[in-house]
Amino acid sequence: MAHHTETSHHAPASEHAEEHPTTTGINNRKLLMWVFLSSDCLFFGSLIATYMVYRGQSLVGPYPVDIIDVPITTISTFVLLCSSFAMVRALAATNEDRQGAIIFWLLLTAFLGAIFIGFQVYEFNLFKTEGLRIDTNLFGTTFFTLTGFHGAHVTLGIVWLLGLAWVAKKGRLGPKTALDVELAGLYWHFVDIVWIVIFTLLYLIGGFDTGPAGDPSLVPHSITGFLGLI
Amino acid sequence: MSSDPGVHESRHPTLKQYVGIAIFLFVVTIIEFVIILPMDFRGAGWTIAPLAILSAIKFAAVIFFYMHLKFDNRLLTWVFLGGLALGFAVVLALVGLFTAWTPSQRSFAGEHAQPCTFDHEYICLEYRPAPTPLPAPTPVGGVDPTPVPDSDPAPAAAAGLAATGQQIFLTGQGQGAATACFTCHTIEGLAGATGLLGPDLTHIGTEAANRQPGVSAEEYLRQSITKPETFVAEGVERAVPGLMLTALTAGLTDADVDALVAFLLEQQ
Repeated sequence: MAHHTETSHHAPASEHAEEHPTTTGINNRKLLMWVFLSSDCLFFGSLIATYMVYRGQSLVGPYPVDIIDVPITTISTFVLLCSSFAMVRALAATNEDRQGAIIFWLLLTAFLGAIFIGFQVYEFNLFKTEGLRIDTNLFGTTFFTLTGFHGAHVTLGIVWLLGLAWVAKKGRLGPKTALDVELAGLYWHFVDIVWIVIFTLLYLIGGFDTGPAGDPSLVPHSITGFLGLI
Repeated sequence: MSSDPGVHESRHPTLKQYVGIAIFLFVVTIIEFVIILPMDFRGAGWTIAPLAILSAIKFAAVIFFYMHLKFDNRLLTWVFLGGLALGFAVVLALVGLFTAWTPSQRSFAGEHAQPCTFDHEYICLEYRPAPTPLPAPTPVGGVDPTPVPDSDPAPAAAAGLAATGQQIFLTGQGQGAATACFTCHTIEGLAGATGLLGPDLTHIGTEAANRQPGVSAEEYLRQSITKPETFVAEGVERAVPGLMLTALTAGLTDADVDALVAFLLEQQ
């Protein structure tokens, strides 16, 4: 592929060569994506902080211990981790210009993401029937806001991936346009790492919180509880 | 892996590394699950540290290998870790703000919370600092000429006291204007006294005597001002029961209360 001689307006980003020189030496789109992900850390950081601040402060049930199902969510966490692996394979296939593999891995990534969303829909629905809605208590409010925004990120990622698969089907993805896949991958992996944090915090650590009558040591009310969280 | 940003070339891990990372993430998640599997461990404080460390390791594995930060321009690492550090700082600051200083700060604020009296459709509480001791009220010289619907030929001293009471009723004296009596209580004919939250005091001077058996009008008024919670008369229309609190009148001196009682007794 003699892409060095190409003069097409279609970015000849061959093997990650820059489209044009930038002062940072980094492709502008790629830098932009990283800056966006960096700012998204603050977005989720605020929601996580809100959850932690109100953790154990709910006065009415259901409390986390009543409804959080760690085993099921462990499975959906696996699914999301697997989708990240599919994503890196999609990028590798793009770099190696294996057209069939590009579509396969992109669709598999989107499919695994959809399964994760399916788990979340099931979980939200179950919580609703068990009496936890976003306006039930502080746990419901902070839980649904945080996991809901994460779910929205995943959903957006699925739409993006399906769009890429469609582009791939038209044969427009390859080593020259690998950055298109790489950027989607960065976003996808970011959504994955956010879930790593949420899963640990809301399920593994906070999933057994009880109400105000429960063990007060679980409630991070004191300086010791605060330090324990760090 | 070139470190020269000008000709930077990002490389990607090999398939073998990708598979290795996937297995690693899988195993770490299994370990996390096993940690919280025994009933005794669930929610136990000591599990927080290992779980946090394990998820941090997973986090790092994904960003450095799947997102290939390790193989990419160093600047991208700083851009991302910068945002991550800020996000972490936000979490620490907010959690610290809300938890580290409880419970003393919170109950302190609660003790001095008073109903805010602005024109809201709902009742809210606002924080006011503890009332500071105030100098004894000076008799008001130029009493405003609002007609008091009473023209008893009372002694001059009593009339002066009642006038002072009216002033306190309208200004709040030591407790501040925002929680002055008139904001909640109506006295017909008294300019500005059109509050609707508490009982109408237009005829309190006569009603007070009948509110509590065996308690004189003066005693009843005094108690209702200084210790409002002690006895709440039934059958009195009030928009928001329970708003009148001792904290509301804590800023009044004994002399203030004397003046208020004298003033209210005149509302026949």
